Amino acid sequence: MTEYQSIGKPIPRSDSREKVTGSALYVDDLRFPRMLYLKVLRAGVPHARIKSVDITKAELMEGVYKVISKDTEGLDKNLLFGTCIFDQPPLAVDKVRHAGEVVAAVIADSEKNALRAVKNIQVEFEELPHVLDPYEAIAAEAPLIHERNGQYKHLPTFVPVPDSNVFYKYHLKKGNDTEVFREADVIVEDEFEYPLMNHATIEPHGAVAYWDHAGDLHLWSSSQAPFVVREVLSDMFNLPMTKIHVNIPYLGGGFGGKSDYTIEPLLTLCARYVPGYHVKFRLTRKEVFIGTVLGRGLKGKMKIGAKKDGTLVGIEAQLYFSDGAYADTSCNVVLAAGHNCVGPYFFPNCNLQSFGIYTNTPPVGAMRGYGHPEGQFMIERLLEQLALKLGIDSHTLRRKNFLRPGDTNSLGQTISEHNGDVVECFNKMIEALTKNLLPNEDDQFFYGRGVAALVKSPVQASNAASCVFLKVNEDLTVNISIGGVEMGQGCLTVLAQIAAETLKIPVKDVRINYEINSQLTPYEWQSVASMTTMRVGNAILAACEKAVTQFKKNAALVFDCDISELSYDGKTVSRGSENIPLKDLVKGYQYEDGHAVGDPILSVGSSVVRDVTLPDLDTGQYQPYEWTFGAQGCDIRIDKTTGKIKVIHFVTALDVGKVINPDTARGQITGGVMMGIGAALKEKILFNKKGIMQTDNLRKYRIPTMTDMPEKFTCILVENPQPDGPYGARPIAEHPIIGAPPAILNAFQNATGISLLKLPISSERVLTALKQRS
Amino acid sequence: MELTITVNNREYTLEVDPKESLLFILRERLGLTGTKNGCSQGHCGACTIVLNGKAVKACLKKAKKINRANILTIEGISPEFPNKELHPIQEAFIQATAVQCGFCTSGLIMELFALLRENPSITEQGIKEALEGHLCRCTGYQPIFDASLLAQKMMRSKNSG
Ligand code: FES
Ligand code: FES
Repeated sequence: MTEYQSIGKPIPRSDSREKVTGSALYVDDLRFPRMLYLKVLRAGVPHARIKSVDITKAELMEGVYKVISKDTEGLDKNLLFGTCIFDQPPLAVDKVRHAGEVVAAVIADSEKNALRAVKNIQVEFEELPHVLDPYEAIAAEAPLIHERNGQYKHLPTFVPVPDSNVFYKYHLKKGNDTEVFREADVIVEDEFEYPLMNHATIEPHGAVAYWDHAGDLHLWSSSQAPFVVREVLSDMFNLPMTKIHVNIPYLGGGFGGKSDYTIEPLLTLCARYVPGYHVKFRLTRKEVFIGTVLGRGLKGKMKIGAKKDGTLVGIEAQLYFSDGAYADTSCNVVLAAGHNCVGPYFFPNCNLQSFGIYTNTPPVGAMRGYGHPEGQFMIERLLEQLALKLGIDSHTLRRKNFLRPGDTNSLGQTISEHNGDVVECFNKMIEALTKNLLPNEDDQFFYGRGVAALVKSPVQASNAASCVFLKVNEDLTVNISIGGVEMGQGCLTVLAQIAAETLKIPVKDVRINYEINSQLTPYEWQSVASMTTMRVGNAILAACEKAVTQFKKNAALVFDCDISELSYDGKTVSRGSENIPLKDLVKGYQYEDGHAVGDPILSVGSSVVRDVTLPDLDTGQYQPYEWTFGAQGCDIRIDKTTGKIKVIHFVTALDVGKVINPDTARGQITGGVMMGIGAALKEKILFNKKGIMQTDNLRKYRIPTMTDMPEKFTCILVENPQPDGPYGARPIAEHPIIGAPPAILNAFQNATGISLLKLPISSERVLTALKQRS
Repeated sequence: MELTITVNNREYTLEVDPKESLLFILRERLGLTGTKNGCSQGHCGACTIVLNGKAVKACLKKAKKINRANILTIEGISPEFPNKELHPIQEAFIQATAVQCGFCTSGLIMELFALLRENPSITEQGIKEALEGHLCRCTGYQPIFDASLLAQKMMRSKNSG
């Protein structure tokens, strides 16, 4: 095995000193001259036509600089933005489609004054019937949320159904898709629910926008996607990219809630009315809930069939996503869920449909897992029912049907050795889990054990790219500029390790420049899909290899030889027994008489996703990126009197390809599992009858706390290298969330015999279920 | 109202609105942005600071209630770093990889600072209960819990050595 200096080592995070001392700067920590503040008026009704907005009183109030509404001079009422479907106005013009939608905005000298003015804006609505449920939204009598559905500009792959609330219908067909159960001896089916959720990053969204007097737009934002934001703004304002400066400071968590764009179009639009001022817009916690994006929101049916011996033969599913008022951010989630709901199993025949549906909630977008947790919750729960019906142990049933090299997945792609090994993950997970004895039921508790397997592919633009600039400084330290965003995942550290290994220098000598400024930083699609280690890592690898070659080229001039005769060891370039220290080559080589040859070391690297295609409109088949496999399992304890579930032991085994940093990898797993536990036991966005969100703070929307932590975490990193990953690494960051809910609900069923199919299973629901059983 | 407070060993006299929160005063008036605002509703713990020896949520403390208070924020616990050492709790957070996005970090460190000073030999359960009011969406808590135990150990050996 190769001995690495930096790869695989638990190097402490490079951003941790800044963060433990409170000196790391996040967007709300930034201070600027001539600062103003933006506050907004939100609809407060879920679906209505706007009759009038009266801002006359607000405009005259103390400290107010500008009030913006649909009637404001210069506002383009036809302005719609998006990246897949252009259906969203930055500010409501004719209609509001969810209660958190912005109807007017005030810029004032303080938040207090802005808020006071906001309260003095009068809006007259003509209220319309609203719909929150995806089933109701596709019914014939449902209110139409977008009258223009079908007429909006959209990417050719996302085909809407006009005169309905369906903005995207994905249909995947594999094998005999009209008779998927022809060879089935046994069929099981069920209906499932994965509720709407909130990312609940501890940092609320915020941004500062500043239009200077030269017409340049400067933006500082808590965004995972600086270059998507730049593209959207460039389109919106018809502004060349040389006039847009998107800056990203540290992010206090993302999880998809800060991907694509959120508050940036509105803020920049408003700030344009006060050139010369820095306008800050920071959301309250309530606004994060009602005024950004939500995640998940699935209702669906699944049916699977198998032969008597447990061989799976076919699957049918219909997935209905309540995707909120605007479609853009969820198109790809609908797609990913559609073909990934089969899990890591081989089905010769598939008929899968996934629908993106407009509803009157905040728009639904990316959330850690991106379609995979939803669909795989269904399959992993349903396999449990199939095992019961067949009388086969569910582990055996899974093992029998795992996708193995040579099998084709739902898209018809052939799985190969290099995709990793789900069987190995599953076996190692079971081995770790069964080391502890599961206690027998007693007066107070049930005990249950449950498992799930998982698969994920990064869902990304088919030409997603990462670019980096690298310079070697005169003292041989290295700066690398990346467009990837450090939002907590630890990319600065992991990427420095990749660079250090390739350049054969200590990690401490590499600085990954986290400061993103779209004028200076090379292009990056966006930091999503767990792809930063892999895609940016590959770009860094390429840049480092070029830098090594440049060192050699300089040395070759001195030795007067071909570079193939030279070797580089991180300290010198040598030819046989002769060597030149890198220090003497870094700016080119200078002879004793002063004359110089060669060039300073300065390189670029890029990595573009290859061979990813777009879905075929008829069969739904396409070529996505590579796959990561894993397996998860848990032991739980269920309190018979309170209904409270405690996770005793949670095991995750992921085929990571090659671990770059075991500590940060483990942190992704414990964090992801905990989010999964939240989805399983606690988290659900609720609305009242009037369509107003009820769970709009962190008390009502409960994310896991320290006492929800499993008594024990086991994290197993399986290493079957990914040939095109940096040092063999593959994506893992979203994955640990996928299997946690089904594993916990499977454990619940094994303990109590009760099959629950809707998330979350709160203690109240557990108690009710136990009561009904007895 | 006129407010006099000591923050990180420096006394300030300020003219403030009595309803203003200590969090606003720290962040917006004194520029101490290490204390974070995650909700302003007392739900997340990100704004935790030490006030007269006790860990409190700065967003819930109104100016009128804190005259003459002695306050310590994250900026005050190792003010001379890197010329001098970090506080052991900070060191433990680094070593245990208890920091991801870092937005919850200063609140947690301040909570532990007050806790371990008041009760250096607090039990594991005691630590969990004290940290229960702190939300972290990134780490899954295990690394934070590990860091807390490590900090406790480091502080003990420091005090005995
Ligand atoms: S900001 Fe004070 S508890 Fe959240
Ligand atoms: S590290 Fe991100 S919230 Fe705790």
